[in-house]
Amino acid sequence: MTRDGETAGRRERPDLDPSVWLERHALGVLGVATAAVLLVVFYYPVLTVFADAVRVGGAWTLDVVVEVLTDPFYFGALAPIFAGEFGEVGAVAAESPLGLFGFTAYQALLSTIASVLLGLPGAYVLSRYEFPGRRTIRSLTILPFVMPSIMVAIGFVAFFGTNGPLNAALTALGVGQVNLLFTLEAIVVAHAFYNAPLVARVTTAAWESVDARMVETARSLGANPWYAFRDVLAPQLLPAVLTGALLTFVFTFMSFPIVLALGGFQLATVEVWVYSLVQELEYAEAATLAVAETAVSLALTYAYLRYEARESGGRTANPPPRKRLFPDSPSLLAAVERVGVVAYALVVAVVFVGPIASMVVESLTGPSGLTLQYYQFLVQRQVEGASFQTKPGVAVRNSLVFGAATLLVALPMGVTVSVLTTRGGRGSRLADAAAMAPLAVSGVVVGLGMLRGLVFGVELFGARLRVTGPVAIVAAHGVAAYPFVVRNVAPLLGGVDRSVVESARALGATRVRALLDVELPLVASGVAAGAAFAFAISVGEFDSTVILATGSSSYTMPVAVERYIGNRTLGPASAMGTVLLVVTSVSFVIVDRLGGRWEA
Amino acid sequence: MRRRTLLKHGATATVVGLAGCVGGDEGDQDTTTEATPTETPMQETTEETTETTTEKSLSGTLKVATYSSFIDAPSTAPGGWLKKAFEKRHPDVTVKYQTPDNEVNYFIQRAAQGVDIDTDVYVGLNVDHLIRIDEKLGDKQLFASTGSELSNYGQVKDGLKFDPQNRAVPYDTGYISLVYDESGVDAAPETFQDLLKDQYSGDLIVQNAKTSITGRAFMLWTVNTLGEEQYLDYWKKLKNNGIKILGSWSDAYTAYENGEAPMVVSYSTDQVYANRQDKDLTKHQVGFLNDQGYANPEGMAKFADTDNPELAEEFMDFVLTKRAQTKIAQLNVQFPATDWAPLSDEFRKYAKEPENPVTFTYEELQGNLDGWVDSWARQIAGGR
Repeated sequence: MTRDGETAGRRERPDLDPSVWLERHALGVLGVATAAVLLVVFYYPVLTVFADAVRVGGAWTLDVVVEVLTDPFYFGALAPIFAGEFGEVGAVAAESPLGLFGFTAYQALLSTIASVLLGLPGAYVLSRYEFPGRRTIRSLTILPFVMPSIMVAIGFVAFFGTNGPLNAALTALGVGQVNLLFTLEAIVVAHAFYNAPLVARVTTAAWESVDARMVETARSLGANPWYAFRDVLAPQLLPAVLTGALLTFVFTFMSFPIVLALGGFQLATVEVWVYSLVQELEYAEAATLAVAETAVSLALTYAYLRYEARESGGRTANPPPRKRLFPDSPSLLAAVERVGVVAYALVVAVVFVGPIASMVVESLTGPSGLTLQYYQFLVQRQVEGASFQTKPGVAVRNSLVFGAATLLVALPMGVTVSVLTTRGGRGSRLADAAAMAPLAVSGVVVGLGMLRGLVFGVELFGARLRVTGPVAIVAAHGVAAYPFVVRNVAPLLGGVDRSVVESARALGATRVRALLDVELPLVASGVAAGAAFAFAISVGEFDSTVILATGSSSYTMPVAVERYIGNRTLGPASAMGTVLLVVTSVSFVIVDRLGGRWEA
Repeated sequence: MRRRTLLKHGATATVVGLAGCVGGDEGDQDTTTEATPTETPMQETTEETTETTTEKSLSGTLKVATYSSFIDAPSTAPGGWLKKAFEKRHPDVTVKYQTPDNEVNYFIQRAAQGVDIDTDVYVGLNVDHLIRIDEKLGDKQLFASTGSELSNYGQVKDGLKFDPQNRAVPYDTGYISLVYDESGVDAAPETFQDLLKDQYSGDLIVQNAKTSITGRAFMLWTVNTLGEEQYLDYWKKLKNNGIKILGSWSDAYTAYENGEAPMVVSYSTDQVYANRQDKDLTKHQVGFLNDQGYANPEGMAKFADTDNPELAEEFMDFVLTKRAQTKIAQLNVQFPATDWAPLSDEFRKYAKEPENPVTFTYEELQGNLDGWVDSWARQIAGGR
């Protein structure tokens, strides 16, 4: 795999020292390890489920696939086309033009647009302005990412509800009420809540490593600021923006609990169907739908990666100086821009701070006003809870341990895949798309595959091989997280000037040395963003954790939140949710500071 | 092989002899239960001491699988009490709980894949589960028929028995009903047809019949009452009248408590919770449509492959005792499934029972359930 590594080896005397051997072959070893982990905890489990689409009752058949593809309920006007009955298209289009897939794609598209519109100004402010607390806010941008959907639903219903603070404020201002809940708009806003931070974070990383000298050159050659932005800066940012958009589309295309909680069953997505079919153990139909979902997501990913490869070119990070919130030299333009920033801050307050604060308020509100009883419950459960009950302290500890371990797994995996796929032809684009697959497969299917493939185990040589518990959970989190590292690192790595790396190699550095000492420091902002995402994915992961933790005490904070729901009070769950928020906020700031030290 | 004993039924049989002759019909339940409430605690202690001395011979670990809120719900859950009480009665026995995330499906999948199951008892079965098990596993047996082996089985109300093969033994039941806020509606709807009126437009939150137990029960209730031919048409009208269909009971109840709509589909024991949490009872009124409530009994069953069959049966029998039935009802906030557990004062005041409980039997659902749910789901979803 690492041809470069081998030529470097030949240049020097053969050395049997294992550490030297390891350094020389590190990328190859990491590549093999990555592939092995992917195979065991992702590809094998998922493919056993996908196979169910064509294997029904022990026989191979395409019946179910054909049935699903030609069902207008699923594919709308495409169904008669798949069936080859072109005459039917008109009639079906009149009845259900979009079908479940069409509608799902439509809501994902709206959600993507909303997320980009909401995320970009954030990226601009975070990367172009200097203000107190900027780094902390940047660290906290991914907070929404870790919030269990159940908490987001609680926060949204409380904040945007008929009797919520938003409507109270609007009524007080004499604007009248907004009825957002249980509509398509509610889903789109909730999706933006989750994904705009993703767009913002990825774009901020890119913006912080643009080459401002090119802009200055353009300006000095007479381009006005708009042209300089459009022709010089925008092309440098576009790959990151599109990365954010792509990830958003893929996520919202497979969204499910939030859709049911805030939209209602009328607005069900394909993933809702996959979930309920799996509940009903109708595997063939569920697998067919899931394969179709994955096909759509992977096709988009592949198309995007082709684009990204074309765009990458040599440049060095050299960001422009940051602006201050209160400009040194007041001008109309500067004033207008600051007004925009304030307006944006207001939107952020409504969309992000509002629901989160509402959830915290929920945890402090009992039937008769302000109370700490739900936090008392958490303490009590920790101290007095029976061994078979879920304890908050154990959940916090597990989340932090798994999060840290996930970083150790996902960062090397992600960087390795980035390096191996950055330089190469069409084949490596395919490999890159395949490496993104963990994002493109339905969470329900991954969970089912893990249950059948890992928890139940495989019969090998008369013994049953099982992979469960903490190691399996960390591996699963690593697999779910490393694509974020890749998507944050690869585009920047592609932009690193090759001559720098080549000089290092010419001076005798191994491939890994060059990577660690030369390339990674140049793309540090991407690595830091990737690390933050990896940690966030681990902390927020629910589907596979809950399955792999079965029968052990390896549950995490989101699992605890879920288990504290019930008996007509959201208090304990929202208190646990608040604990999750505080613990992850602190961790994010620490992760970012550690990354930042390296970054600087 | 585990140690077994032949003495198993000795003591419990006398208990049945003493208390096993209370009337069985749901209708006259009130008359049979009212007599006892004050003396019960004393009786219970004596019952317990005699039994601990005679039943020491059972030993080992009993693995009980259940849904997570049975042992882990924040306010009250019956699991902890059940374990303690059973272990006290059988000092050499340890009860170990398992709560797989996929609940019964976990075991159906294991059985389907030929992976061994070492769990002894499952607590929390309903009739849908049985239909799924029989459909998916065919001849493979997941649960063994136990009902008639249990000395307390005679106390289970006949109307609640939902398994023709006597594998699942009911231990409690809930009734699906409307819960409404008095100040939000002029008058509570009394019939299914009422819900279609303009005055209730946008007023009802229900759950999705595909993913939620209460949602499915409510949907089946409409099939039961309006008929297989009519229910889809009825739902079309409900949809046009602004009904909100959310994913889970918790989603729906949260929205209801936040005042998004004045009516929600929930359980008829709603006021018990409201009272325990000092909530405003006018916001927790229970309404039965057509004087009906859809009964949703929960059952327990012994795994066919258990290597602890006697212990498993002893446990199930214990769950059916008067004392456990009283306690579980209280802690799980459901009605007892037997006719000998006295309702507490709290329940008699706050837990409502419908005049006419309705439900589908196993036979009626078999072969129909999937079709009914699927037609319903396709009519509602699709973003139209």
